[in-house]
Amino acid sequence: MSWNASSKSLRIANVAAAEHRFIRTLALVWLLLVVAISAHNAWLWTGDRLKLETDVLAMLPQDDREPDVAGVTRALADAGARRIVVLVGADSAIASRSAGDTYAAALADVAIDVRYRIEDETASDWLDFFTPFRRGLLSATQRQELESTPAADLANRAVQALYRPMAMPRIGSWASDPLNLFGDWLAGRAKDSPIRIDDGRLGLVAGERHYAVLMLESRVSAFASGDQARLVDSMQAARTAVMATTPDADVLSVGVPLYAAAAAGQAQREMHTIGVGSFLGILLLTWFAFSAIRPRLLVMLSIAIGLATSISVCVLVFGKLHLITVVFGATLVGVAENYGSNWFSNRIGCAPEQRWTMLREQWPTMALAMSTTVIGYALLALTPFPGLQQIALFSATGLIAAFLTVLLWFPFIDTRSMRFSRFAAWIGSLRARWPRLQRGKWSFVFIAAVIVVLIVGALRLHPNDDIRLLQNSPANLIADQRRLNDLLDLPSPAQFFLVSGIDAESVLQREEALTARLNQAVTDGDLRGYQAISDWVPSRQRQGANAASFARVIDADNGVLALASQQLGEAVEKPTSAPAALLTISDWLAAPVSEPLRHQWLAEYRGGVASVVLLRPPNGVAGAPATTKLAAFADPENGVRYVDKVSEVSSLMQRYRVRMGWILAISYLLVFIALTLRFGRHAWRALLPTALASALAVALIGLLGEPLQLFNMLALLLILGMGVDYGIFLLAQPQRDLVRPFLTITLAAISTLLAFGLLALSGTPALHAFGLTMLFGIGLAWLLTPMFMPSDNDAAPSQSST
Amino acid sequence: MIIRCIAMLCLLFAMPAQASDDVVAVVKAQLEQPTVLRGNFEQSKRIEGFSKPLLSSGDFIVSRERGVLWRTTKPFPSVLKLTRDEIVASQGDTVTFRLSADSEPSVRIINGLMFSLLNGDVAALGKQFTISGTTVAEQWALDLKPQQAAFAKLIRAIALKGDAHVSVIDIDEANGDHTQIRFSEQVSTPATLNADELERFK
Repeated sequence: MSWNASSKSLRIANVAAAEHRFIRTLALVWLLLVVAISAHNAWLWTGDRLKLETDVLAMLPQDDREPDVAGVTRALADAGARRIVVLVGADSAIASRSAGDTYAAALADVAIDVRYRIEDETASDWLDFFTPFRRGLLSATQRQELESTPAADLANRAVQALYRPMAMPRIGSWASDPLNLFGDWLAGRAKDSPIRIDDGRLGLVAGERHYAVLMLESRVSAFASGDQARLVDSMQAARTAVMATTPDADVLSVGVPLYAAAAAGQAQREMHTIGVGSFLGILLLTWFAFSAIRPRLLVMLSIAIGLATSISVCVLVFGKLHLITVVFGATLVGVAENYGSNWFSNRIGCAPEQRWTMLREQWPTMALAMSTTVIGYALLALTPFPGLQQIALFSATGLIAAFLTVLLWFPFIDTRSMRFSRFAAWIGSLRARWPRLQRGKWSFVFIAAVIVVLIVGALRLHPNDDIRLLQNSPANLIADQRRLNDLLDLPSPAQFFLVSGIDAESVLQREEALTARLNQAVTDGDLRGYQAISDWVPSRQRQGANAASFARVIDADNGVLALASQQLGEAVEKPTSAPAALLTISDWLAAPVSEPLRHQWLAEYRGGVASVVLLRPPNGVAGAPATTKLAAFADPENGVRYVDKVSEVSSLMQRYRVRMGWILAISYLLVFIALTLRFGRHAWRALLPTALASALAVALIGLLGEPLQLFNMLALLLILGMGVDYGIFLLAQPQRDLVRPFLTITLAAISTLLAFGLLALSGTPALHAFGLTMLFGIGLAWLLTPMFMPSDNDAAPSQSST
Repeated sequence: MIIRCIAMLCLLFAMPAQASDDVVAVVKAQLEQPTVLRGNFEQSKRIEGFSKPLLSSGDFIVSRERGVLWRTTKPFPSVLKLTRDEIVASQGDTVTFRLSADSEPSVRIINGLMFSLLNGDVAALGKQFTISGTTVAEQWALDLKPQQAAFAKLIRAIALKGDAHVSVIDIDEANGDHTQIRFSEQVSTPATLNADELERFK
């Protein structure tokens, strides 16, 4: 079995020479492919051709999700992507105005549009806009009152209102609208937002506190990081300027660019600490183990070729890459690490010419190690989730490419001799001293401890797929967001109704049917309110009905106007009822009045049109269960869909997690079959340590009180792929006094821990969960695997090559 | 007698309408700023298109702490209550109109305005209106013009007259309506609300 038995190698010299030529041919073929792949990559990376998908919804199964809905949510998100809302609060209107002015002045030099100062005319314009259509504009309450209240009572009310010293503002003559329905309707519309114009500025009042409202619109993309940083700096400067003049002011700022800036800042800091730390660690490790950097460079070459191949293949198959694919696919770096490590651990201390023999001896082991990993990914590809399919294809092709590079190229590139460093010799020799599990007191204690940890951990483990767990924005941003939502009474961006139809009229009519039910939900307390375009622009049908009931209840001979006039003793001249003008959606969209709701109208949707009805869920804990009740209002047959992005994505994560569990179970079974073919009755020794390490890793996560989610499961699949490799490398050369196998797995394990275990330090929850699982799983797999190896006097595992 | 008249005229010419800031200061100095003010009112409202004004009368309470209670007794009894948080109109036990500040923030502005007008709080009025005016001896008259265009769409001008209290308010609405309110028998004692009044504010 030893590759340095010279007589044996002499005997096979002729065969080796033929094999050598064969490998050379294959290596050249592979070189051609790699050149092609590199060219393809170069073409992709230059000129913006690589399409990176960042929408999480793009990972949803195709049949389970309507692309149109994803488009709608994206359109809604885009509308807010550049917007930042700043509230500057003070204890009086004057103080808040001057603080707001200071803030706006401090932003004067920044590439940002500030909406704060409002021309006086703008405010009065929107009264004028609706006036011609007033008779067609009635709220639900008004309609109901006109229908159900006796005309005499309404007349009474009209008279009474006249005697009040201060009435609600009336627009136009009394006779044209004795109940002041239009003024009331306008006041109702104004309720959609608490923002008012105060002294030519946007402002709002909440209790005793006055706030200046500044709407900032970044002129650059929310995801261009350099501009973001500058924007955040100038906003900080503006805040400082405000605090200098108004010490008791409070400044709330919220917007996607701020979240993006915070995330980018964090990613950058982590890149610097974790990334640099792990890179240096791996370099140092290689240097100590091999007394050279060359092995590291070659391993990195194999990994780079793996990544480039993955990218090419995925783009060719899927057309574009998902960001999550790249992040998780990149983890194959850790798996591919094993092949290179194995090569160099076996090369170490032997003459360069012996490398061919070594390759002959090692390639079945490496091939088995690779196939056990590819098994897991292949199963992943069978799932109906496009996201997982992509990850699977990405990882599997990357692994095979890295494996081929090691196998075909390393013999030609790595021609120098390598001496055994003391460090490498020491690591390898640890195996002989490693404890083995056998009948005895300590093994019993060990097994008991493992069982206790598993049971306690399992009891404390709880799955949680809520995507909000993955939100890791700074606490101050979240606190600002919460207060701002309360103050501005913003509708939820995550839950809404999507109403579609063949034309504007049908959409508006469907919206009206929906809002009738929503009004009931508001009365029942299941909803605080909603924001619907049909409240501003009723359907033509509704406008006609409104105008008709106006004419019947108010203008008719014994209507409200006639009765009230009689009561007042006035012969009020009836207004010449000109046919009511119809307000159309295009008029409204074109007018400045529509600005706050315009993004809710989708002029093109599946060959028709659509609108979005935004909801204001009840505050606090009552919110979530109440909104699920609203889902029952959906009526897909009639173009009304309920969209709950949060629960949609959360349930997606859950399905991914559960499916990953199954894939993991089947992977273990298939890997076990593959191991049995090679190692026979010893196969369990390669698999059990990894299984145990994975179970312990999950139990430890439970003990730490962290939730179990998709990202832990993805890590478990990787742990299977890598951990079993450790078992394979040791079982292939089971003698305890051999140093190379243990050196291989130790170097591989430390590299993996440095590359991924350090992610446990990440502040990004997904990466943290993934890193922590890897840290526990790989660490334990490395610790446990030698303990399960057979004793030297036990029969050596089968060496039959595959 | 004639000499006295001439002297008076001279005095008038010698003391032309003062600059607004000064007028505000003078009026401020003259006006009592009581915690509670009670009195009677007579309101005459001219509605555009109506042949005769609508007359009503009753009494009112302005409380610094509670707000305004406007009780009409003629031609029919009704109550208008303006507090920090809402405007409520009622007839007997029936509420005929209610607007809460939670749903409409401008309720606070309206109520604040009403309070300032009845109390003659010129400092507060100065935030919404450009004030000009004249003072003659104990008497003063102020003209208020809204500063904001949106407000001017509703109210063209307000005129106030008074001495130690506001005696007449003239509201000129942009839609052509005109309201004149005359006050009488204003008293600022007792400075606290009695149990019955407190009950009415509830």
